[in-house]
Amino acid sequence: MYASSDLPRSPDLEGAQAVKILIAGGFGAGKTTLVSSVSEIRPLRTEERLSELSAGIDDLTGVGTKTTTTVALDFGRITINSDVVLYLFGTPGQERFWFMWKELSVGALGAIVLADTRRLSDCFGAVDFLETRNIPFIVAVNCFDGADIYDEDEVRHALDIGTHIPVRHCDARDRRSSKQVLELLLEYLVATAMAAGEHPASSWPASRPR
Amino acid sequence: MTGGFSLDDDPGPLVRPFAVTRGRAGKHVHGLDILTLVMAARPEADSAGLDREYREILRLCEHRALSVAELAAHMNLLLAAVKVLVSDLIDSGYLIHQQPRPAMAKPDIQLLQAVLDGVRKL
Repeated sequence: MYASSDLPRSPDLEGAQAVKILIAGGFGAGKTTLVSSVSEIRPLRTEERLSELSAGIDDLTGVGTKTTTTVALDFGRITINSDVVLYLFGTPGQERFWFMWKELSVGALGAIVLADTRRLSDCFGAVDFLETRNIPFIVAVNCFDGADIYDEDEVRHALDIGTHIPVRHCDARDRRSSKQVLELLLEYLVATAMAAGEHPASSWPASRPR
Repeated sequence: MTGGFSLDDDPGPLVRPFAVTRGRAGKHVHGLDILTLVMAARPEADSAGLDREYREILRLCEHRALSVAELAAHMNLLLAAVKVLVSDLIDSGYLIHQQPRPAMAKPDIQLLQAVLDGVRKL
């Protein structure tokens, strides 16, 4: 055994669990800002190399200039309890990249789509992606100064998403506001999981025919 | 690592991402994920003979569980490179690891509720 007097406890990861929530949305919608405002650490950046990318990739931190394309994502951490750690991954704004990053989305508890009402169409890709993969999500409308404020139904209609999907305005710079968005997502996840448990045949999200 | 590599092999700070893995990419054998948690299994003194990157990993996750993603960020290495290094350390018994729960059709209500409770306490 590795028990040693200078270790507070013998190394043990029994019961330890890391879970993730994706923060998706268009480039510049405030994803990293939201992660920063609720994370217990300054957001970290990690990179993955993607091999299947085609040529002709543009913008976003110069990835297009590299022959080997790496995709960066920023993430934060929230320690939930002694066993569970929650990671918030801000997906790269250029959807063409992270769509190929399967590891990022597989197993995610859920997602927050951050929308900028000045450029609502920027998050269509994220919505499509999450719907296709049955990852439950809510929409948070980041209220930039001077941006047109659409009400929640207008946003829902513009994004063509169901009425069961919560939409909430927020200010991603504000910790309290970002925390409320995170709570809203988790309440939604708990509620949908409970509903699915009671009615297994009609589990949400409307699943693909099996 | 216990056989063959020595401090003389240390490639120094200005290395290409995969120089530290001796060109090995994607050869991690433990199915490591960005959310795999790792923790040092032995006291730091045991790692004295290892290459710098290995020691760095062990130092970062001594007494605490860190995800592969965090390791990569702290070390400023690509995830794929860190996975190779972590895989080596698991093979040689320096690290213990815990995989994230597999993506399941059925969400775990207790887990979701625990996460909700944790977020509420922020």
